[in-house]
Amino acid sequence: MKRLFRTLFAAGSSRAVPPLVIGFFFILYIVVAFFTDETLITLIAFTRRSLILGAILALIPLNSAFRMIRETITFLGMRGALSGKTDKGVMGMFDEVVELSVPATTPELVNRLAAAGYKTRRSDNYLAAWRGISNFPVRLLFLAGTFCLFTGILITTTSRSSFRQMVVEGEPFPTPNGNGGMVERITLEDSQGYVLRRNLTMEVATTGSGSGKRKFGLYPPSRYSGTFVYPRYLGLAGQLRFTAPDMPAGYEKLCYLNIYPPGKEENVVIPGSPYRIIFSVPEPENLSERYSSYMSDKISFRFKLLMGKDQLFTGTMTEGVEFVRDGFHLALPDVRRLVVTDFIKDDGVLFIWWAALLFAAAAVLWLPIRGIFPRREMLFRFGQGVTTACSFAEGEARKHAGVFHEMLDLVDLKRDERRGMREES
Amino acid sequence: MATLLKLIPHLFAWFGIVLIMLRGFSGRRSSVMLAGMIGFVIGVTGTFILFRSYPGSVTFGVVKSVLGMSFILLWGCSVVAIYRSTDRAKVMSWGKRLIKTPSTAIIASCLAGVGAGAVCTCRLSAATTDGVAMASVLLLLAAGAVAYIALAFEKRMPEAFKVSPAGMLAIVTALLLFSASSILRLDLFSPLSMKVMKGVHDFVHQFMESILIPDHLFVRSYIWKTIGLLFSKEVGFWGGMVIWFTPAILIVLAIQFERLPAVAHIRQGAQRRRVLVDAIRARRYRALIPVFALLLLAAATYQSCFPSVEYWDPKPLPVTAGSSGEIIIPKKGEINLEDGKLHKYIFRQGVKEARFFVLMTPAGELTVDLDACAICKPDGYGQAEGSVICYYCKTLIPLETVGKPGGCNPVPIPFTENGDSVVVDGLTLINSWSATVQATARVKEGGK
Repeated sequence: MKRLFRTLFAAGSSRAVPPLVIGFFFILYIVVAFFTDETLITLIAFTRRSLILGAILALIPLNSAFRMIRETITFLGMRGALSGKTDKGVMGMFDEVVELSVPATTPELVNRLAAAGYKTRRSDNYLAAWRGISNFPVRLLFLAGTFCLFTGILITTTSRSSFRQMVVEGEPFPTPNGNGGMVERITLEDSQGYVLRRNLTMEVATTGSGSGKRKFGLYPPSRYSGTFVYPRYLGLAGQLRFTAPDMPAGYEKLCYLNIYPPGKEENVVIPGSPYRIIFSVPEPENLSERYSSYMSDKISFRFKLLMGKDQLFTGTMTEGVEFVRDGFHLALPDVRRLVVTDFIKDDGVLFIWWAALLFAAAAVLWLPIRGIFPRREMLFRFGQGVTTACSFAEGEARKHAGVFHEMLDLVDLKRDERRGMREES
Repeated sequence: MATLLKLIPHLFAWFGIVLIMLRGFSGRRSSVMLAGMIGFVIGVTGTFILFRSYPGSVTFGVVKSVLGMSFILLWGCSVVAIYRSTDRAKVMSWGKRLIKTPSTAIIASCLAGVGAGAVCTCRLSAATTDGVAMASVLLLLAAGAVAYIALAFEKRMPEAFKVSPAGMLAIVTALLLFSASSILRLDLFSPLSMKVMKGVHDFVHQFMESILIPDHLFVRSYIWKTIGLLFSKEVGFWGGMVIWFTPAILIVLAIQFERLPAVAHIRQGAQRRRVLVDAIRARRYRALIPVFALLLLAAATYQSCFPSVEYWDPKPLPVTAGSSGEIIIPKKGEINLEDGKLHKYIFRQGVKEARFFVLMTPAGELTVDLDACAICKPDGYGQAEGSVICYYCKTLIPLETVGKPGGCNPVPIPFTENGDSVVVDGLTLINSWSATVQATARVKEGGK
């Protein structure tokens, strides 16, 4: 059982796992590309539906977790060896290990190592020397980032659900689980930020169930009842009133018009009739601000009235003012702002954000550690006339190896001196 | 004779393949030579039979797929090489043991020969329609002579010049891709860049939606323009370059990262340095081959971007619609619509205009299509070597599939044949053009 566990752990923590899994998905991507132009979307859909593909993708976060354990064990083992406690199982992790059949004289070694900039620790049977900072914390950050990234991708791919709703001023805040508080105000303002040029705010009133007043912005998106509120597009909602010569009873309905930015068209079909109306907001004269009309009191609409494929006429109308021509009456008496909003249930997003932070931290730390203070270690163990010397370097390996070889020469010099003394005696 | 002259770059590639195989499997010259030649004969005859059995684009597709697979294999091996060279564990893998077996040498040489032979036969087939059998026999004789010269040359090369297994795979694949890049229908780089462009577009779109990035109307324009760069055609080219060159670069790095031999047991400093210097020199020699592979891949990219093929791309002739709104184009007359060539026209209606072409497919059917596809910007099509090419993304569309919708194929337009003329509805044409151009312009602007 223990052997099986060790084998599984060794396989799961192998460095080969991530490239193999990524390579597998890459080849799958190529195969899918032969059959469809929507390759990535199709591959995501396959992974969502297939348990096997999900399990294969899950190997990467699992591998990262195993590697964190493995590298921690190795790191602690190396630390144990350097502090003279144990060297069990870690000798293989050193770059070079050599045995010399001569006992060492530690004071000389310590002096030479100190002169080369190494700190030392010694006892009767060992001497450890080191300099620089270990890469281990950075590796942990990197592996944790990989874990979070691929866990996030896995969760997003397999369990994300999205519901598109219209958030309208004066209407209850719609959520997948039912309606929330009343939407009091929707505002669009200029932003002073470096990334966002506008701030969009949706203010929702207190609900009867006890939820307090809430404000929803753009980024980072707020959560409401376990879903992210992700504003997508702007629009207008209006009570449309339409009568035609052959429709004296007329037609009245609340219409959601996804017509921002100005110029974007939305089609409203009048049911049971050949009529349809295409609405848009006219381009402002000053093209630098295409969204100013969104916050204005009276909004102008451009429209085209069509009967079948034929265009009857076009015109411009203002909110609250009725348009009349040739027996046709058209009015939008009450226009309110709306935001086309996606309510997204996806816990993977949090993992992806964490991954970005961890990767950034790892990169910031790695650069100076690897470039200026790489960890270099030496260990000399003495016992029964034999010195075992080990060397390890995370960077500047050639320079470190030079110092290590010099130390070995120093140890070996003692053997020559002793041999000379024996021959003289 | 002209056809045989066109084979020179391919025979040069074959020379290189034989030379590298002989040096890479240096203890098994005779078996490598024999297996390579047998492979070449199989490649030539197999491709020749395929061309006879399946005229059209099938054979090119098969050979192109084989080349694609060899490139994927190179990618896999390069990743393994870099992982192994940076691993602290010093164990001999089963892969290394496998490379040293005689059967590996024979199979690898044979496969390389098959690839080289197939590419050469595609060149013959693309260049000439008559006398392919005789040309194939001449090709086999020439390939035999080239292999013999390579054998003689290899024996005179210095012993210090060694080839690593990964380096061998890199150079052989690079030689095959270089050889294939001069044949329009075997070129891999252009379709790769197109797929990368589409892949990056999809990935960026999905990524932004995944982490809930606000839409362009809320984001500062300079940031959106920067993101917009990821949707451009250049991303396809540079992304393709990265994928194209990375395996060879990884192999160079793997050789550079190889651990130097342990010299701690040597007590003479001068001897230690000697061992290290020799190891570093040997490492540099081994890196020469993948560096040369990089140069060959660069040459293949150049041939792909600036092909020596001249496209048939006639200037669009203006046409007008009659009172019924129909455009009538006679099949014969000044222009023969049934000659198998692309015939381009331009139709103007007020301020709107639409470009389209008429073509007789190899199946003998006329087709009318927009001079634009549903994916790319409407840069139009040219015709060469049994296919039409989309000028925007450089995708080759076999003539057999022109008239079928989807992908980068030209958008087909409904038409009727009325005796000696082709009849197209002007309004349908204008509407179809407007819908296509608007849709592709929106995609290329990077709108979500």
